[in-house]
Amino acid sequence: MSEFNPNILAFCCNWCSYAGADLAGVNRLQMPPNVNVVRVMCSASVKPEYVFKAISQGIDGVLVLGCHIGDCHYLTGNHRTAKRIPLTAKILEKVGIDPRRVQLDWVSAAEGEKFQQVVTQFVDDIRSLGPNPMKEVRF
Amino acid sequence: MEKKRVVVIGGGIAGIQASLDLADRGYEVHIVEKSPSIGGHMAQLDKTFPTNDCSMCILSPKMISCADHANVVLHTYSELESVEGSFPDFKVTIREKARFIDTDRCTACGDCIAKCPVKVPSEFEEGLSKRKAVYLPFPQAVPRKVTIDKKHCRMLTQEKCGVCKKACQAGAVDFEQEDAIIELRASVIVLATGFDLMDAAAMPQYGYGICKDVVTSLQLERLLSASGPSNGHLRRPSDDKEPRNLGFIQCVGSRDSKARNYCSSVCCMYATKESILAREHAPDVEIAIFYMDMRATGKGFQEFVSRARDIYGVRYVRSRPAKIQPANGDSGVLMSYETRGAAGESKTEEFDLIVLCPALTPSTNNTDLAEKLDVELDGEGFFRTPDIAHPVDTTGKGILVCGFASGPIDIPDSVSQASAVAARAAELISGGER
Amino acid sequence: MLRIGVFVCHCGHNIASAVDVDEVVEFARKLPGVVYAGQNLYSCSQEGLGSIKKSIEDNDLNRVVVAACTPRTHEPLFRRACEQAGINKYLFEFVNIREHCSWIHAKEPEAATGKAKKLVAMGVAKASLLEPQEEGESAVIPRAVVIGAGISGLAAAASLLDQGIETHIIESKNCVGGLLREVAVIGPEDIDSRNLINSLEKRLTSSPKAHLHLNSRVKEVKGFVGNFEVTIAKGDEDITVQAGAIIVATGTREFQPAGEYGFDEYPAVITQLELERRLAKSDFAASRMAIINCAGSRQPGREYCSRVCCNASLKNALRILDKNPDAQVTILHRDIMSCGAAAEELYRRASERGVRFVRYGLEKRPQVHAKENGVVLEAFDETLDETIDLDLDLLILATPLVPPEDSVETGKHLKVPRDKYGFFLEAHVKLRPVEFATDGVFVCGSARWPVSARECIWQGQAAAAKASIPISEGKVRIEAITAEVDPDRCAACGNCVLACPYEAIEIVEHLDTMAAKVNEAQCKGCGTCVAACHNDAIQQKGFSSRQLGAMIDALIRTATEGTQ
Repeated sequence: MSEFNPNILAFCCNWCSYAGADLAGVNRLQMPPNVNVVRVMCSASVKPEYVFKAISQGIDGVLVLGCHIGDCHYLTGNHRTAKRIPLTAKILEKVGIDPRRVQLDWVSAAEGEKFQQVVTQFVDDIRSLGPNPMKEVRF
Repeated sequence: MEKKRVVVIGGGIAGIQASLDLADRGYEVHIVEKSPSIGGHMAQLDKTFPTNDCSMCILSPKMISCADHANVVLHTYSELESVEGSFPDFKVTIREKARFIDTDRCTACGDCIAKCPVKVPSEFEEGLSKRKAVYLPFPQAVPRKVTIDKKHCRMLTQEKCGVCKKACQAGAVDFEQEDAIIELRASVIVLATGFDLMDAAAMPQYGYGICKDVVTSLQLERLLSASGPSNGHLRRPSDDKEPRNLGFIQCVGSRDSKARNYCSSVCCMYATKESILAREHAPDVEIAIFYMDMRATGKGFQEFVSRARDIYGVRYVRSRPAKIQPANGDSGVLMSYETRGAAGESKTEEFDLIVLCPALTPSTNNTDLAEKLDVELDGEGFFRTPDIAHPVDTTGKGILVCGFASGPIDIPDSVSQASAVAARAAELISGGER
Repeated sequence: MLRIGVFVCHCGHNIASAVDVDEVVEFARKLPGVVYAGQNLYSCSQEGLGSIKKSIEDNDLNRVVVAACTPRTHEPLFRRACEQAGINKYLFEFVNIREHCSWIHAKEPEAATGKAKKLVAMGVAKASLLEPQEEGESAVIPRAVVIGAGISGLAAAASLLDQGIETHIIESKNCVGGLLREVAVIGPEDIDSRNLINSLEKRLTSSPKAHLHLNSRVKEVKGFVGNFEVTIAKGDEDITVQAGAIIVATGTREFQPAGEYGFDEYPAVITQLELERRLAKSDFAASRMAIINCAGSRQPGREYCSRVCCNASLKNALRILDKNPDAQVTILHRDIMSCGAAAEELYRRASERGVRFVRYGLEKRPQVHAKENGVVLEAFDETLDETIDLDLDLLILATPLVPPEDSVETGKHLKVPRDKYGFFLEAHVKLRPVEFATDGVFVCGSARWPVSARECIWQGQAAAAKASIPISEGKVRIEAITAEVDPDRCAACGNCVLACPYEAIEIVEHLDTMAAKVNEAQCKGCGTCVAACHNDAIQQKGFSSRQLGAMIDALIRTATEGTQ
């Protein structure tokens, strides 16, 4: 059997974490190719439904990255993210999904290295969790 | 109300940025660029320090913005013929040299270029490859119109040939075309004439023009570029082989009382950049940079040098090489230099390729422009900006300067100076204090 | 009928060296809705854009996907090309396969190609559901705020005022001039700094449109480009200013090198600014001096070169010799950073006048020993390869410039980023040096990076130029990424009203019931309300739940097909 190569979705806010991901690119910081970024304007616009949809259909992990608390381009948007995403993970736990498959972190526009580190760590974590069990469920 | 007009001389990054800011500010801007395309030296660069951002990728959108902007008029392949009057009413005459091409018809399809039998060294490729007598200086040129070089065109020099005219389905070739003279009035004039590379052959001790495998930094830039003559493969000129080692020589003609006294400001950093790029293109190549002081004063520069040294293994040697001569045969170079310290000794090292970082000199056009505009140059040929409170003002009222034309500076400083020019023009036109 | 065109960029080698562009193009061609897929060496060149426009016309495309670099720099360019070819610019979707793919997976071409396919599939899926949008406009308040009245803030304000723009200047101290007040003479041209400050200050005081707030600080910033509201705390009083643009010119301060080279321990060890103060007095008497450059910089922890210290050391060495021609002055350095013409000339003058230059290294740092009325400096001279002892009356430490303590607060108020040293991070280090990524907020001078007085002034002017553009135009366009309510799905629960950070939503009557309504002019397009809605009744234009859902589907589909 070939090595498990997780398929991961990341939501990055336009102002901080997407810019941080760009900076990681500019600095040529190498990282595993498992994380696919979707740009949103603010991490607070990430609906729990997106996470549920992704996990229920077999995405191995979902990363939500926003601005650091206090730095949100939209004032207090990420305060909501800070509550919403952990709650989303908890709900998934109730239905038997390991909550570590959903992770929230803060990456600023200046933190290319942190982006690299968060991505690398998350891919490692998901690798150790193994494939999303929902992948085997046929609806 | 009629828009106030500003004439910008020079279409490199400084002239482009000044023009875009002035145009966004609501002025009508006329860019006068001597070569067939705007873009200047930045268009020749592969990457830019310290982020290794692809140069064309960040420049090209700005070039296109100039071409698209409702307030910008491009006069490429043009020269400033004369200036009369004074601030705020200059009467400017521009000579648009004949391209022998009807630019309304030309689609830059390349049919004429394919058929043209004349090959001459390409200026854009720093002589590393040939272009035709009818040519597009580089693929991303703005405007995207070909030009016939009348010095080399057989039809224009010997009145025989004309195959380009036959090849052109658009009927754009016009051998009868004459220079166009354009007169306009302007409130402010901006000088953004940039730099030239000092002729390295003038210093024979560095072997340029004597040893095939001695190139200039701008030539290396082209060799590293994906769109360059070797498609981005690092090759040395003598035998087209990948060099095993590479030596950079800093301050060739800079900081030298026999040539140019000043520091050209950007060479330490671009040599560091080119070293990193060379290592990325050819991971086995060994690199040494011979320098006097490693000048890394900008944002992220020192870290960039550390990265080159620690991650890319670039060897920094503090020494000014004395002599460069051919190695055995046609290929390779022998370089003699002194090592430092009490145990200093003469050493000779063999390199497959030597890269010279020549002094960047003020544009040779500055003398002529200074005369036409009645502004002062400093001892080196840069436009003088004596008033620190107005750092982009030359000695002539309403005549501003930005970029390398005012002295050795890098791209971000050229860009901020260019924006400063826009502010200063607006101050002057608004009747602000002087 | 969907007619999607996909254009994959080589970006020279930048993408093509890791991603197999041919393979991605072939893959894209088979995606649902795609009628054309092609590639360009540089999509952003006039040639590349020309070919995109041509194929929009030739293939009658109604959606365009470009897979290239980052939308943060290049989206406007491609959107404009779409418009020029007759497609609404909101029918364009950007896929980042450079920063987010080829550059960060440079050594895994197969995986990078696979990921590029996923990203392209996601982009195409989103593009299928894009809809044309119209942009709104918002008026710009013709007034600017400059934070900081040091030399760069003064220059920015003077320029704005001379352009006829009303300007508020906020300064935390009781006077203008900032750090330059502590420097008597500006090198290399020996300019009297007081004259310069006075001339700039005069341009403020002579203008009826200038409002200088001394002993003041920024308390709060609300709003967006064209319509900021800045609350200034001035003593016990709060002043609110409406402005169209804001310039950050909060400057810098000298690093105090506690514990380094005997600083704090020996009175004979001082910083360069203290030397400036002493040199300004008539009774300056020391005769044997050394200046250590890079004291606290270009070393682990503070790796950067502070740009201005070498030239300050050279200038001060010459000033010492002007005062006392018999003085012995040594400059200990690691590289002399006298870039350009005037600074190099200063270096040469210092050498000619007998200033001794000693190159030291980090491995063998100079050591300071006690001595009566001074110190002894023991240094290893790398050039001579020997250790020397210097008997000194005064040892001057040229320490780096560091960000002021309040820059953390300033950054938070304005929601603008700072780099790892705490200097403000501009939008693009090469081509947008005085702009932030946030529209309408600009930066200049040493708040961004240590710079000389001359550079401060032109950067101040540059920031003023940028700030003057929306103000002179009088209006800014609002990107069509605002939220909109489907009143038929809305239960009028009010969650979105509470969630909106901008009070842009209200509950209004709709037919015979109630529904939420978004005020477009106030909506900033964050999408917070979208996630707060339990009924999927609010959608953000360009980021709808269907569009994002389609991207998730595409990611799953591509991964499944790719592995089986």
